[in-house]
Amino acid sequence: MFTLPETRFDFGGDEYIYAEISRDMSAESNFKALAIVNELRERNIPGIVDIVPSNASYLVRYNPEILSPRDLLDYLKEIDITKSDPAQLNLSIRMVEIPTWYDDPISRQYSERFKNRHQEPGLSNFEFAMKANGFTDKEAFIEAHSRMPNLITMVGFLPGTAWGFPLGLAPGEIIQTPKYLSPRTHTPRQGVGIGGAFTVVYPVNGTGSYQLIGMSAVPVYDADKRLIDLEDAYFLARPGDLWKHRPIDEQEYNRIVAEVEQGTYRYHMKQIDFSPQEYVMKGKAYIQELMEGF
Amino acid sequence: MLRIREGGLWTTVQDMGRQGYYHLGLPPSGAADKYSFIIGNLLLGNPVECAGLEMTLLGPVIEFGKKTSIALTGASVQAFINNRPLPMWEVVAVDEGDVLSFRFCKKGVKSYLCVSGGIQVPEVLGSRSTYVLSRLGGHEGRKLGVGDELMIGEPLPGAFKQIGKRVPVEFIPEWNDAKNLRVVMGISGNRISDEGIKTFLDSEWIVSAESDRVAYRYMGSSISFEEHAPPFGAGSSSSNVVDFAYPIGALMVPNEGEVIVLLNDATSGGGFVTIGTVISPDLDLIAQSRPMTRCRFLTITVDQAIQARMERKKQLMRLDEILKEQG
Repeated sequence: MFTLPETRFDFGGDEYIYAEISRDMSAESNFKALAIVNELRERNIPGIVDIVPSNASYLVRYNPEILSPRDLLDYLKEIDITKSDPAQLNLSIRMVEIPTWYDDPISRQYSERFKNRHQEPGLSNFEFAMKANGFTDKEAFIEAHSRMPNLITMVGFLPGTAWGFPLGLAPGEIIQTPKYLSPRTHTPRQGVGIGGAFTVVYPVNGTGSYQLIGMSAVPVYDADKRLIDLEDAYFLARPGDLWKHRPIDEQEYNRIVAEVEQGTYRYHMKQIDFSPQEYVMKGKAYIQELMEGF
Repeated sequence: MLRIREGGLWTTVQDMGRQGYYHLGLPPSGAADKYSFIIGNLLLGNPVECAGLEMTLLGPVIEFGKKTSIALTGASVQAFINNRPLPMWEVVAVDEGDVLSFRFCKKGVKSYLCVSGGIQVPEVLGSRSTYVLSRLGGHEGRKLGVGDELMIGEPLPGAFKQIGKRVPVEFIPEWNDAKNLRVVMGISGNRISDEGIKTFLDSEWIVSAESDRVAYRYMGSSISFEEHAPPFGAGSSSSNVVDFAYPIGALMVPNEGEVIVLLNDATSGGGFVTIGTVISPDLDLIAQSRPMTRCRFLTITVDQAIQARMERKKQLMRLDEILKEQG
């Protein structure tokens, strides 16, 4: 059912082991990463310091004064072979709505400001993303980007940044864009960007190299813990969650931003039991089932 | 209490760093030059986890709110208690009302001020280290400025017996201009051509001005990539791979003319080809290197990397014994 190549392992300096499940991105690779990471976490091995699932790979940081690198490598290889079947995975996850104002003035302004680092300086990032994917109609592009939810396949870069990879689409249907030639030095907080096949929401102002196509009305990092839904966590993102972009207009954007500022905003979320097995069998139909009533 | 009269160039509270949150993108932070930082705490008889101040090129002006003992380590700098020169790598007593000030640092980049009992900012996610990009940890998640007040611990039992203890000269690093940085090759190095790997190892690299606690950038040579169809989902440049979690110390090659080493405040993930990882003891050397510093990358095996790490650990244990025997 899950056909994946053999994982490739490498040492990273004296404290890390990197495991590449596949060179190409696929949801299956990410499910395998999640399965292994869950197994490793449950085993609670002394000397393992950080366990990081990423898109099609995972990273383990360990203390080599407690664990021998070669013993840990053998141990990880065994887990990789025996405990990595995503069919056994049942994930308790959340579907979270990200209200998004596409092709907004802030994204356009940043496109203009950093056009000297861009492959097509005459286009806004939104126009560039449309062109790169063969769209001429703005609404059709927005529909194509927002119709299916994104699986959170990795969290990082700057804390709270989540990589979203669309589920239920054939590889040819997935919107993809190149990244900036040279990263921007500034990116607006809550900017929505596409790079490769991934969509992110930038948690804070910072650098960035993804194409800015819109603005999320809701934060993904809450340093001041004003929002009740982020009270325990600071960050919205959790690996394995599904984020669904919902296109909104300027008026609704402003209304939601005001609610966030007042601390009254509640994320539109739904708890889901997610089965990678069912997803691989039923594909898009399974995702549509999960989205019912959302 | 420490009253900050001037913040200096970039002064933050740091400790040994934050663990267990990298999967959220939260890097470890912590002292950039662990060797110098640890010695500061060893001198005072503090647990190594105690938080201290990390100062960058120009230190702050600090008034002490109580009698305690301090140690100044790291980059070579002239410092004064009131107008009296303060020796480095030595435990010194300070009184309530004493003022510590600094001249511009001469060699290296990061100096450390440790105080008996440590700096008592609240722990955030298991550490007192400052991570400025997320405004988290340390003093209000930021560098220190005029008027800040930092709580410090009560001097530890026996703290004043440590006064006068001094680090023997053979343990004090020299911040030489040219550095050799040891690398375990791998990760996505297979995307670099053989010629590119050879150039990488044979060339002298120069620290560029755009270097800080997040990453150090090096220029001066050129590395050619293998011709490959880009992986699905990675974007279309030959330096792009499917985004993954970077080790601290990762050596990325974003384009043919630049290599970047990630340090303790790293962006935790991204999609640039990574040729290898600098070993943890050598990250200290990077953090102490100034723009225009020349360096070379040496390839070693993981076993040699562990050996290098253990040698440094033994050196610190030996120093700890020597300090315990003094006075």
